[in-house]
Amino acid sequence: MKFDVIIIGGGWAGCTEAEKLVKTGAKVCVVSEGLSLASVRYESPYARHAALQKAGVTVLRGDRAERGIIEDGKVTGVITRNLGEREPLTAEKYILATGKFFSRGLLSDKEHIWEPVFGADVDYNPDRTKWYDPDINAPQPFMKFRVKTDAEGHVLVAGKAIVNLSAVGDICNE
Amino acid sequence: MNNLEQCLKCNLCTLVCPMMEVNPDYPGPKKAGPDGERYRLKDPAFFDYALKYCLNCKRCEVACPSDVHIGDMIQSARIKYGSQAKVKGLRGLRDWALASTDLVGSLSSPVAPVVNEVLQFKPVKSVMHGMLGVDKHRTFPKYSRQKFVSWFRKQDQSGFDKFVTYFHGCYVNYNYPKQGQDLVKIMNAAGYGVHLLDKEKCCGVALMSNGFAAKAKKQGELNLKSIRKAVGEGEPVLTTSSTCTFTMRDEYPDVLGLENADVRDNLMLATKWLYEKLSSGEIKLKFRKDFKMKVVYHTACHMQKMGWQYYSIELLRMIPGVTLTVLDQNCCGISGTFGFKKENYEYSQKIGAKLFTDIKTSNPEYVATDCETCKWQIEMSTGIPVLNPIEILAAAIEA
Repeated sequence: MKFDVIIIGGGWAGCTEAEKLVKTGAKVCVVSEGLSLASVRYESPYARHAALQKAGVTVLRGDRAERGIIEDGKVTGVITRNLGEREPLTAEKYILATGKFFSRGLLSDKEHIWEPVFGADVDYNPDRTKWYDPDINAPQPFMKFRVKTDAEGHVLVAGKAIVNLSAVGDICNE
Repeated sequence: MNNLEQCLKCNLCTLVCPMMEVNPDYPGPKKAGPDGERYRLKDPAFFDYALKYCLNCKRCEVACPSDVHIGDMIQSARIKYGSQAKVKGLRGLRDWALASTDLVGSLSSPVAPVVNEVLQFKPVKSVMHGMLGVDKHRTFPKYSRQKFVSWFRKQDQSGFDKFVTYFHGCYVNYNYPKQGQDLVKIMNAAGYGVHLLDKEKCCGVALMSNGFAAKAKKQGELNLKSIRKAVGEGEPVLTTSSTCTFTMRDEYPDVLGLENADVRDNLMLATKWLYEKLSSGEIKLKFRKDFKMKVVYHTACHMQKMGWQYYSIELLRMIPGVTLTVLDQNCCGISGTFGFKKENYEYSQKIGAKLFTDIKTSNPEYVATDCETCKWQIEMSTGIPVLNPIEILAAAIEA
């Protein structure tokens, strides 16, 4: 399946991006990654997905990007859970809008924090004792950890900018 | 898969549960699923009989940002702890009859005209309503005098060098052979012959939801054995019902514990297979030039869970002459045999109300959907005829 832009994450940031893009006439696909808790504070569930669908966006509700394929510094496809290995989603541009820990845009264990779809570089303090502030009312340092991007907004993977992959929303502290 | 510890208690599942909206007696997916499971693990006495209200629509799982298998947990709990709750007496007889699709179908087919008349007869309906608890508003799908398999045996499929295997399901076999005949027509037109499975039983979805899991498991084992053989011979196994497909692909391993990883990728809806082959140019179909149809597409719950509505929608869009509107994804409320029961009728209709209004406002010639029970519900509640995308495609091609 071919699109102009694939947006991974159907929360507030991903939908806002999709709205802008579809107005320019682009063929857009949103992989929704479950429902976004942040979004339902502002709208009834799926209201924005339904509006996007009416505008011509393909919304894969409930599907999840399992793995991005990167070849020669470019994303060439995304494998999703429902469509499977036989049918990768492909596009000219990819946008990561999967949010942070709650929506599983970032995952963690006791030593590491990582981005699961593309293996993008994450900006975080390797010293775990610095992840939290013991004062629970203080802003928590882990909330500021983010996916690394270059000056043009391209996402970095193993230190190299991926030219057709950008990030929006919480995952890059926007 | 019991990953209850992944639940972060965000309640997004509760927000999208269609039963929750209309029935205050239902505790909702979070409480019935991961919350309740913690208690049930300590003591089975915590099993709540209100879990019977779960439609198994899996909308909770589609919404869950943490990937908790909420619906599977509820289904499994009903199977594991709910056996003592199995309804006794006449209601039990009703549940057994509704679940035993193969048996009732085999008995009804030879005397189909009589059964169809009797089931429509008002006094019979009142008796069934009063004594058995089968709601009087419901119209039973008509039985076909000739089973699909009997028709198929007379078809010559020897002239092809490529084949697909077709899992027809109970509805096609006993009630609506036309849908299966349409699939054979399309496959033959595309240059493929059709085989049936060595042995096919009902996928077991109605057995599972009515408390006969052990029988469902037996039938599942038999189906998987036949599917394995077909896949081993290099043939994909195609279906025309979203719920049969979902049950065999996902409920077999997740709820019944039947391993199917070796064949899962080769078991799919015919619309998915056709979309892949048509869009890659591997097969070609000749479309009629004079075909015109105004259609709205309804995404069945299990279709949404599999995430395959895309294929059926795009396949319909490939047909010249089809004007297609995609409806918002709302549950129709019937949930298989659930809506046939008197005590559930009102919930069913309340849940489906949004969808019925949407359909009536769009005023199409036909509604398209991949699920047969959605079809019965929509036809009864809106009066607008419902077709499977396969039927629309078959009508649009030159055979």
